[in-house]
Amino acid sequence: MKSQKKNNKHVKWFYERPKLTGIITFLFLSYIVGFIVFQQYKLATEDNTREMTSILHVVRQNIEQSLKNCYTTTLSLALTIDDSGYPTDFDTISKALIEANENITTVELVPNGVIKYIYPLDKNQEALNLNILQDNNLKKEALKSIATHKMYFAGPLKLRQGGEAIVGRLPIFIKSKFWGFSAVVIDLEKLLNSAGISNIDSSKYYFQFSKLNLESHKETFHLSNKADFTNHANISVKIPDGDWKLYIISKKENNIPYQILVPGIIGIILAALFGILIFTLLRMPNELQSLVTAQAKKLMNSEIKFETIFDQAAVGIAHVDSFTGRFIQVNNQYCKLLGYTQQEIQELNYQTLTHPDDLNDDLTSIDKLRDGQITDYSREKRYISKDGTVIWINLTVSPLIKTDGKVISHIAIIEDISIKKEAEQLIKKSEIRFKSLFEDYPIALWEKDFSLVRNYLVELDLMHKSAEEVKKYLGTHPEVVIKAMTLIRVIDVNTMCMKLHNAENKEELTVGFQKLIGERYSCNFANHILAITQGENEIIAETIIKTAHGEPRDVKFRWSVISGFEESLARTIVSTEDITVQKQSENIIKKSQQRVESLINTIDGIVWEFDTETDRYNFVSKKIESILGYTAEEWISNSVFWPEHIHPDDKDWVVKYCENQTDAHLNHDFEYRMIKKDGTIVWLRDIVNVVVENGKPVTLRGIMIDVTKTKEAEKDLNASFDLVSEQNKRLLNFSYIISHNLRSHTSNIASIVSLIESSESEEERNDMMELLKTVSRSLNETMLHLNEVINIRTNISLVSESLNLEDNITRVKNILSKQINSNEVTIITEIPKDTVINYNPAYLESILYNIILNSIRYKHPNRKPLIKITFTSENNVKILKISDNGIGIDLDRNGDKVFGMYKTFTDNSDSKGIGLFITKNQIDAMGGNITVESEINIGTTFKIYIL
Amino acid sequence: MRKKTIWVVDDDPIYQIIINKIIQRSEMFSEIFSYKNGKEAIDNLSEVIDKDGDLPDIILLDINMPVMDGWEFMEALGEIQPKFKRQIIVYIVSSSIAVEDKNTSKTYTNILGYLSKPVSVNDLLLIASND
Repeated sequence: MKSQKKNNKHVKWFYERPKLTGIITFLFLSYIVGFIVFQQYKLATEDNTREMTSILHVVRQNIEQSLKNCYTTTLSLALTIDDSGYPTDFDTISKALIEANENITTVELVPNGVIKYIYPLDKNQEALNLNILQDNNLKKEALKSIATHKMYFAGPLKLRQGGEAIVGRLPIFIKSKFWGFSAVVIDLEKLLNSAGISNIDSSKYYFQFSKLNLESHKETFHLSNKADFTNHANISVKIPDGDWKLYIISKKENNIPYQILVPGIIGIILAALFGILIFTLLRMPNELQSLVTAQAKKLMNSEIKFETIFDQAAVGIAHVDSFTGRFIQVNNQYCKLLGYTQQEIQELNYQTLTHPDDLNDDLTSIDKLRDGQITDYSREKRYISKDGTVIWINLTVSPLIKTDGKVISHIAIIEDISIKKEAEQLIKKSEIRFKSLFEDYPIALWEKDFSLVRNYLVELDLMHKSAEEVKKYLGTHPEVVIKAMTLIRVIDVNTMCMKLHNAENKEELTVGFQKLIGERYSCNFANHILAITQGENEIIAETIIKTAHGEPRDVKFRWSVISGFEESLARTIVSTEDITVQKQSENIIKKSQQRVESLINTIDGIVWEFDTETDRYNFVSKKIESILGYTAEEWISNSVFWPEHIHPDDKDWVVKYCENQTDAHLNHDFEYRMIKKDGTIVWLRDIVNVVVENGKPVTLRGIMIDVTKTKEAEKDLNASFDLVSEQNKRLLNFSYIISHNLRSHTSNIASIVSLIESSESEEERNDMMELLKTVSRSLNETMLHLNEVINIRTNISLVSESLNLEDNITRVKNILSKQINSNEVTIITEIPKDTVINYNPAYLESILYNIILNSIRYKHPNRKPLIKITFTSENNVKILKISDNGIGIDLDRNGDKVFGMYKTFTDNSDSKGIGLFITKNQIDAMGGNITVESEINIGTTFKIYIL
Repeated sequence: MRKKTIWVVDDDPIYQIIINKIIQRSEMFSEIFSYKNGKEAIDNLSEVIDKDGDLPDIILLDINMPVMDGWEFMEALGEIQPKFKRQIIVYIVSSSIAVEDKNTSKTYTNILGYLSKPVSVNDLLLIASND
């Protein structure tokens, strides 16, 4: 049993691999075929070899027999030799011997290797007296027979008389002493023929005869048909008497014979065919098996699908006993809908679940279904779920199992339609609500049918034409508008509508609608038609209508198409809101607004309002155009217009200041510059009110007043104030100078006078008088200096001339030539050629003189003075620069005194402290300025600014 | 009473002659030294300290002088003051009538007075006795 199983297993293994099994079968059969063919071939070859061996054996025996005969012949011949060594009756015996042996052609006696006796002599004359022991060709074989003491067959040799022959030589010893040879000459052909070579089947075999050379051991073949026969089947036999070898050779080549090849090939083909057959046979059940598997899989899938559908369906499915109403099977959704578990529901029937109000209908239908009166039914009904809530469901019942035409069980499919039901109820409710809304709406409402109007417009081919085209058409065809208006049908109106038109009943308005439309309305109606042609579904317009009493009323007219009627326009709602009162108040507001606006625009300042939330200006008054040149639109449309047009020098602080003040909720009032459209600068005073709501600044309101003129006046005022202050300062300074300089002299004079008065000696008095003179001179000098300064200061009509700067410098250099030469001063001038300045000639000379002299006077003791004079003119500012390499001035200490009167900084006795004082006064008088830069021990630079 | 030494620091050579005469007339001072500016005076003061010589009792100081003016001299004096054995009394003697100068003089403790030129013998007598 077990082995059978195992066998089955192996068989199955092969069954499952048809291709491999086919190949194995083919290989197995091929091997068997090969084996059989090979055996056949072997048998055939053995047969052949046996036949050839037997033939060769016979031939060899024959040859050996012949050779023995020859031996006998030679022996017989040898016996003719007597004791003295001479033959007796040679010819007679020889003749008898040749006759007795037909293979022998000649017999010879060769005493001492010399052929002495030959029979028959006539044919072999040439051989007579030939010493074979000295002939190179014959010597070796002859000597071999002597050595072995045996007969030896030499050759085959070519005979002089033609043909090939074998020479058998028997050595003869008389009394153990070599006498010579007894020899026979055998015709090879005859020998072989007598051996039976020619008797064989020449179509199958042939012979070959070879001699092995004694010395070289080379094999030489002696028969015709010397072609190479190594490829042919052959057998050989040795004949030792002459060192020969005899071959028998098959004529056919040693290849696999065709008779073996053909069956082999046929066998292999058969094996292959058999292998394919096996493969095909084995494959068949496999294919069938896979077909079965696929089918089974399909079946299983559909079962799973069905189960899935049943279990996962979004609808509840139940299999119900049609008699008891019990549930046989229900799906998950069914349970879920009703809130029961599978177990709970299996205990119940549908009757208990159904709402009592719906049960009777249900039972009747089931009865009908059971009796086969109906095939199925479907209805909306209520179920009561486990928690007691009522569920609306859509039930579909269809029979499942029938017996004898009666339905035993059925399938009930339930779908939750609670939401739908709810929606339906809601719709119902809202319908009622909307109806009352329509009726009781405080604005007049019309329900109008515009479908005829639309059709008319379609007829006229105006729908969806361009607005311009329609407008043009309506303008030229006013009757179309009138006609269209008559096509409006009023379906319904509400209470308010009746009130508005003082109508008694609805018919007055619905039927008598046409009467109500005023002329003004027709104009608006043209617009209405235009909107309809453009496919618009809503129109809002203000218009005037007449009441039933002919009283005109302002109404806000709103026309909108009820959704779903956008194409036909069969139902549209028109509301006409009475806005007569509103219009009136609007007009009042508008008027007051205009008044305010005109008021604002008359204010000589830009009134503005800014919304901090949108970060934009809401309003800017028209004054902006005259003050800044921009339009209010330009200002409002650009949110950064204001900061961008503030003067660049003011922008940062103004924006920052404004932000800070606004954040602190502080009203502010400040002044800054803005750039006018024409590029000029405008000074504005901006008074800003911050409006705060809920602790947050929401609006900024302000007014910008042009204060440019005030600012200019202020600037002028400041300038003149500065001027006056400066002059006052100078005056004060001057008065100090005067008082100080005069006081030092006057006090000296006073002291001297008192000393004179109290002097005791004449000598002392004289000394004092001398001193007094000195003081007087000094005072005079000071007075001169002061006079000069006063002259400079009061000289209003100072004459300026165009002066060549270089010429003036040269002149001053000439004046100072003595000092320049003695101090070895170098003066470098770097002045553009022909530089001309407008200056008072005396002042210029004085200025140059004083500064250059100063540079020489305060030269550095360690170096030669170097003075550099340059002139630059940049941005309308002309600067004359004079630098030296002198001792320098400590400006930290003396900066404020450099240009003071009688200010000296060295103990140089030449220093008077008047040169630079005069210089500065002269420069000031010319409207220029002088500055000094200096570094101790390096040098000093004076810069003179020239107007 | 010991006669005091007096130093006069002023750049006006005529004033120097006059003040010398007046000081001599007052007969209150043993020695008179004149210096052209503050620099000369301060250099000499330093030298006196180094040599341990006689310090002046009174210095008559002008304000407006080249090289080193009166105020600069007062600053320099303040720096070397700690080296002195006793305080040196300074009187400003100036022809200036500017109020600022007078006020400035009050900020220095060792300036005892502000004299306007001309200086009389009586002024000197007062200075000499005011100790």
